[in-house]
Amino acid sequence: MRMFAAQVQDVFREAAARWTLVAYFVLSSLFILIFALAVNLDIVNGALAGAKLFGQSVQMGGEQVDLDRLVIGFESGFSAFLYVVGTFLAVFATAHLTPRLQEKGTIDLYLSRPVGRLPLLASRYAAGLLLAASNIVYLIGSIWLIVAWKTKVFHFRFFLAGLVILFAIAVLMAFAFCVGVVTSSTGVSIMTTYALFFFSALFAGHEKLEAGMAHDWQAAIIRGLYWVLPKTAELGRAAVALVGGTAIPRAMSGSLTNLPFVTTAAFGLACFGLAAWIFQRKDF
Amino acid sequence: MADTVISARGLRKVYRSITALDGIDLEVHSGELFGLLGPNGAGKTTTVKILLGLTHPTAGEASIHGIPVSDPASRRRVGYLPEGHRFPGYLTARQTLSVFGRMSGMAAADLAKRIPELLARVNLEKWAGVRVKKFSKGMVQRLGLAAALVHDPDVLLLDEPTDGVDPVGRREIRDLLQEEARRGKAVLVNSHLLSEIELTCSRVAILRAGKIAAAGTIDELTRRESRYKMVAAPVDDRLLASFRDTGAGVERQNGHLLLAVRDVAHVNALVDRLRTQGGSLVELAPLKSSLEDVFVDLFRPPDVDSSVSARIAAAEILRGDAEAAGTGPGEAAGTKEVRP
Repeated sequence: MRMFAAQVQDVFREAAARWTLVAYFVLSSLFILIFALAVNLDIVNGALAGAKLFGQSVQMGGEQVDLDRLVIGFESGFSAFLYVVGTFLAVFATAHLTPRLQEKGTIDLYLSRPVGRLPLLASRYAAGLLLAASNIVYLIGSIWLIVAWKTKVFHFRFFLAGLVILFAIAVLMAFAFCVGVVTSSTGVSIMTTYALFFFSALFAGHEKLEAGMAHDWQAAIIRGLYWVLPKTAELGRAAVALVGGTAIPRAMSGSLTNLPFVTTAAFGLACFGLAAWIFQRKDF
Repeated sequence: MADTVISARGLRKVYRSITALDGIDLEVHSGELFGLLGPNGAGKTTTVKILLGLTHPTAGEASIHGIPVSDPASRRRVGYLPEGHRFPGYLTARQTLSVFGRMSGMAAADLAKRIPELLARVNLEKWAGVRVKKFSKGMVQRLGLAAALVHDPDVLLLDEPTDGVDPVGRREIRDLLQEEARRGKAVLVNSHLLSEIELTCSRVAILRAGKIAAAGTIDELTRRESRYKMVAAPVDDRLLASFRDTGAGVERQNGHLLLAVRDVAHVNALVDRLRTQGGSLVELAPLKSSLEDVFVDLFRPPDVDSSVSARIAAAEILRGDAEAAGTGPGEAAGTKEVRP
């Protein structure tokens, strides 16, 4: 437990010293501030009678809009945005954790302590996840507070987006850790993790891709990749669906099933397992 | 006999086609300062890394306090100072000791007491709140020593502990290590610096190409069997001839005699001859070679090709000593000519 606490403190101190933590929270705060100042809502009898965005009036078609529906629509749409931004920021802020740990002259200091390699790697991973989680809580919590303050609508399902984003971050971080353990390079970890995010999203339309293949074996590879890789596009849609619930059209959110979560979790576990296996066997 | 704290049997490490260690047997006891010597690539660091679980041996076994080194629990009472260690620059000296103390299982309350004591011991008390990135190389080295000692370990493994430290600092580190050994700790020092090892360690092992080429106490390794220095008066040709009659080798040098004898009885017989001829014995002492002589002899190979590597190895060691002493390689080498 002391080792875990030391690792968490070390990761946060390092993030602060490298300005990662500051940049992480300044960027988030800037975004929140702009959002808070930009949106001006004219609410009459619990409904939206008018709205201004960056000082410009938003056309309402002369009708009053149901405020609950507006908040749900906004927050679910915003979840998709946060899913991409939050994930990218988190990968950027944590990808150095294993390469820096493995640097010559540093790893000796850590492994010469009575600490197993797996607990060391796991505590580093947990510390990175905690760093990412703190930012997600800050981002989503602040936006939720601003929306609640401006509309007086308290829509708690927005926080479900945070859980989905954190889940995606956990899986991508496991992949980044695996690459970091193998290559000891922060740059390669970041690039490959971003590539994985986009590449996996392509396979959301795997049925169309399979249909376009000339041979069955090509289609089988596409299908295989779809099942093996994390479902980054589906997770984004799941965040929207979870926040929107029944209030948004199914076409927008996609069907919400456990499958993307289960297969993505399996991918993450496999990546972390591989990282741990390689880390255990490595000579330093 | 003191307890065996570090034990290694048949340690072997092969990196692809390179054999870094080729069957090392090693024992270090409590209260002992043990030196591991050898040129670059001899296997010193690999040995230490295996003992710490940083590198996995290809064959053989090693334990600390009887616990196999593959078990992290074996490192519970071990302090390690790696060569070229890099503490996070954003941490202060106090934070550094706190992080590594907690990783060794120390409670915050114990650390609050221990850290100021240790910083004072390595003369860094005024730098407790300063970030490590501002430290000089010598200061980082002293902080590394404090980090190795933070949990009051029973075993110390030190890789080039005086690297980058000025002469006064080196003396302080030597004193500190000797004090730790007197307190019953087992200290293994891995170094290039023959003079440092000679001044600090009670026992050494010299590694050559992954094998132990020589091992023993400094006295055992440096004693030249059957060579004595005699200072006597008067010394004349008659006396020398009388000595030579017994089969002794006699050489006059700077006013004293260098004697090559068969054994102690033989040297006693020479003393008797001196007295019967009316001479007085002023001084009689067995001749010793320096650790450097032993080292150079070990690396003096029989064939021409490997003599080059021996010359390089010895020169490397001497250069290390010279750099540490703040002199040029030539000056250090001047104390003993390096010949293939």
